[in-house]
Amino acid sequence: MEKTIIIQRYNPEQDQAPSAKRYQVPFDHSTSVLDALLYIQQQLDPTLAFRWSCRMAICGSCGVMVNKIPKLGCKTFLRDYPAELTISALDHFPIEKDLISDMAVFLDHLQAVKPYLINDSQNTEPHRQTPAQLKKYQKFSSCINCGLCYAACPQFGLNPEFLGPAAIVTAQRYNLDSRDQGKAQRMPQLNGKNGVWACTFVGFCADVCPKQLDPAAAVNQGKVASATDMLISIFKP
Amino acid sequence: MQIITTDIIVVGGGGAGLRAAIAAAETRPDARISLLSKVYPMRSHTVAAEGGAAAVTLAEDSLDAHFQDTVAGSDWLADQLVVEHFVKAAYQELVQLEHWGCPWSRKADGSIQVRRFGGMKTERTWFAADKTGFHILHTLFQTSMKYPAIRRLDEFFVLDLLVSEQQVLGVLALQLNSGELFQILAPKVILATGGAGRLFHYNTNGGIVTGDGMALAYRHGVALRDMEFVQYHPTGLPGSGILITEAARGEGGILLNKDGYRYLQDYGLGPETPLGQPQNKYMELGPRDKLSQAFWQQQQAGLTADYQGHAVVYLDLRHLGVQKLAERLPFICELSRSYVNIDPVQQPIPIRPAVHYTMGGILTELQGETSISGLYAVGECASVGLHGANRLGSNSLTELLVFGKAAGEHAAQSLPPMPRSQSTAATEQAQTQQRRLASLFGGKQQQSIASLRKAMTLAMEQGCGIYRDEQGMQQCRTTLVSLQQQLAGLKVSDHSKVFNAELIQYLELSFGLEVALTLCESALARKESRGAHQRLDPGLTQRNDQDFLQHTLAYRAADGRVALRYQPVRITCLPPAARVYGAAAKQGA
Amino acid sequence: MPDSAGARRPYLQPLSRSWWLKHSFFLRYMLREATVLPLLFFCGCLLAGLYSLSQGESQYQSWLAFMAQPWVIALNALVLLASLYHAKTFFELFPRVMPLLPAPLMIAGQWLGTLLVALFLLWLFGAIG
Ligand SMILES: Cc1cc2nc3c(=O)[nH]c(=O)nc-3n(C[C@H](O)[C@H](O)[C@H](O)COP(=O)(O)OP(=O)(O)OC[C@H]3O[C@@H](n4cnc5c(N)ncnc54)[C@H](O)[C@@H]3O)c2cc1C
Ligand code: SF4
Ligand code: FES
Repeated sequence: MEKTIIIQRYNPEQDQAPSAKRYQVPFDHSTSVLDALLYIQQQLDPTLAFRWSCRMAICGSCGVMVNKIPKLGCKTFLRDYPAELTISALDHFPIEKDLISDMAVFLDHLQAVKPYLINDSQNTEPHRQTPAQLKKYQKFSSCINCGLCYAACPQFGLNPEFLGPAAIVTAQRYNLDSRDQGKAQRMPQLNGKNGVWACTFVGFCADVCPKQLDPAAAVNQGKVASATDMLISIFKP
Repeated sequence: MQIITTDIIVVGGGGAGLRAAIAAAETRPDARISLLSKVYPMRSHTVAAEGGAAAVTLAEDSLDAHFQDTVAGSDWLADQLVVEHFVKAAYQELVQLEHWGCPWSRKADGSIQVRRFGGMKTERTWFAADKTGFHILHTLFQTSMKYPAIRRLDEFFVLDLLVSEQQVLGVLALQLNSGELFQILAPKVILATGGAGRLFHYNTNGGIVTGDGMALAYRHGVALRDMEFVQYHPTGLPGSGILITEAARGEGGILLNKDGYRYLQDYGLGPETPLGQPQNKYMELGPRDKLSQAFWQQQQAGLTADYQGHAVVYLDLRHLGVQKLAERLPFICELSRSYVNIDPVQQPIPIRPAVHYTMGGILTELQGETSISGLYAVGECASVGLHGANRLGSNSLTELLVFGKAAGEHAAQSLPPMPRSQSTAATEQAQTQQRRLASLFGGKQQQSIASLRKAMTLAMEQGCGIYRDEQGMQQCRTTLVSLQQQLAGLKVSDHSKVFNAELIQYLELSFGLEVALTLCESALARKESRGAHQRLDPGLTQRNDQDFLQHTLAYRAADGRVALRYQPVRITCLPPAARVYGAAAKQGA
Repeated sequence: MPDSAGARRPYLQPLSRSWWLKHSFFLRYMLREATVLPLLFFCGCLLAGLYSLSQGESQYQSWLAFMAQPWVIALNALVLLASLYHAKTFFELFPRVMPLLPAPLMIAGQWLGTLLVALFLLWLFGAIG
């Protein structure tokens, strides 16, 4: 059994813009899009460039557009598609080559929200944190930094300065952590014009997130936090 | 070629590399620390670890007990001084991670929860749901962003170390997105490049785990120690090798052969434990190596089933019921549904052993120092002496932290006061490498790199797999040597500079073949069976402390061949004894 | 980061103006945002009504006549539909932003609240009871 894979190829040293190439790939019921790309690279064309590593949906390397929807290549299966499918690099990021996009802006945004626990205690024993306290932020700590939500976000597409879903998820993850005291330091970023208010709750990010984190909810919970924060600062002397 | 000068280079952004970089930055906030990695740090394979990290935590547990479990697990090939240091430092390191925000799983009162783990007598494994490695890696990665001293060089592939007169000068690296070569100069280089599981056909490792760092050090005369010891995990998915964790068996999953028989009872792991009542160290909860070996025996006896051309046995979870599966093993169910399209509620999961961990690696001292001054190694690429002939699950994540920190601190404390002027020796080496690199390109080839790599992984699986014999290993060696020659004659047909995947695969394969040869030679010369190294040759099926209570050291000889030496094992307080499981362990005790 | 451009030439696909046509998800989003247009019309009507009231009885009568025209009624029916659709999307989003209770419960609660308020208003203006 075979399917046709159409890949948007782009070689910066030769091409002006990406163009489509077709490949025939054999498949069975466990063949993933990543397997198909590996097959093409190993059997048909060694110049095909894409990222991957864990092949089990945890390292976040392999995000691509499959039929125009952001997906993890290793967790998307040929069995679920008709005879032809189109694969291209993630939307809204600059394309370096073929399916590889430049993720630098993503990492900059992540770094901007101070994604680490801020707490000056000198204790040598673990903090106490009840399962209920853990649960408050646990989901948001599972972001694999795959960037699918950015490829799904038209606001990020229009304005790459927008912090974007995953960075705000991560800020919320630390803000909601009972051990953290750094919320005040993170709020200026979230309140700013490229922070939570740039989001119009399109909500597609929540649909595409492979870890079902609902980044849209995180962003909009961020709006509530941001509004409270601003109100307080107005009324504080 | 561009030149960067810095103070400390860390090669590798996995758990070990990140921990080392942070330790260095805390020790010397004024130093310039360059963190290089061929993938973004959070893609490193530490991300895939599920189970947990060990440290003595409960009041009824003791450092002594952790020490004994580790040494016995290693089949007495661990360096006991190193183990002593390790078990002492472990707890504080996990607490440190807690202070950095790691979401460890908790008990109702808010204290840390610890779980049981294979080979450990007591509960001492810290975990963060079923994603411990993921959380450790992201906690470290995000924490590393706090330190201005740490400068990341993401997607830089290290091609070579720059070394002159037994002193490290820096590294030579390729920036993947531009294809530019960089000479990065520093008096200290810490290798944290991870294991070499991808040398084998069936493995639980990510695509980047290709043994690069081991080959880098080896090519400059550093010994690779105990390379023959490779741990198989008994339950990987066929084809992909994706890991189905021990937890599945801990919850009561059973292993069946093609006739539906619980075959483990035939291999010293019985008596059969009743369904739904798993018992530590019996049957399905026996040690990994014994379980993998039992699979091999079944395969020889023709009792394994076939799954798309792969020999498999079955992990049956059906008796646990929908409810329990959804509650306790959601990730496993998800993996099985996705990657073999099987619902564990309805059908048993086909599984087979897959290479999981490389116990051997770059020979180091307690602080990670190697025989080259200024060069360190930590994490899975190193052999500090913790694992001996067999690693205990959940010791290695803690290892990354304990020894990563030690190496980072040591490197930072011993930084030379004056920045050194540029070295002509480094430039010469870099230029030689640059010319070599340029000579790799050529026209389209008959053979592809992918086909050579496949030949290597199959040869390793056949010759240096779960059970080994003289003839098989010799065959494997012959194949490896021939593959090395074929690779030398091969050209890279893709001439582009930006993300040249073919070039990287070429370089990784040349590293891999070199490491594979040390593995094969070390195994050939170890004429006994110990831990993960099991021989079938008559007379060699038992442990032989008389002749082989020794570490194997593999050096690269001038002609490129592997030269072996031996090093006595440091034994401080626990003399060798038999390593037994199942009912036999009870009789012995 | 060392600034080596080398052979790099990242390609950035500009976001086309019709990006929202690419996907049914975006279409639904645009529809949600577009519900504001009929609402604008309704607000205009209301304001005109208030103004006419201040201008005296005859003005008010002609406003009432205007409101009774079939096309105005049709448009206002559209307004009702649009605001119901908007309410639906809003009610579904709200539990995600303020996860106080299980989502289905919160959604049902919000609809119930709407119904009660509507009944109260109807009662207040004497349409019922
Ligand atoms: C599926 C799985 C489950 C596991 N579960 C457990 C567990 O429950 N408990 C436990 O204790 N252990 C577990 N382990 C083992 C443990 O996870 C690993 O030993 C450990 O994570 C290795 O970490 P590391 O930092 O040494 O290397 P890695 O995390 O592999 O990182 C290697 C780094 O080196 C970089 N690198 C490599 N080569 C180059 C090069 N040429 N140039 C530049 N950079 C390079 C890579 O980019 C990467 O950043 C598991 C392993 C696997 C595979
Ligand atoms: S929030 Fe979800 S989609 Fe976005 S980067 Fe994280 S895991 Fe990926
Ligand atoms: S390869 Fe790691 S997420 Fe797909």
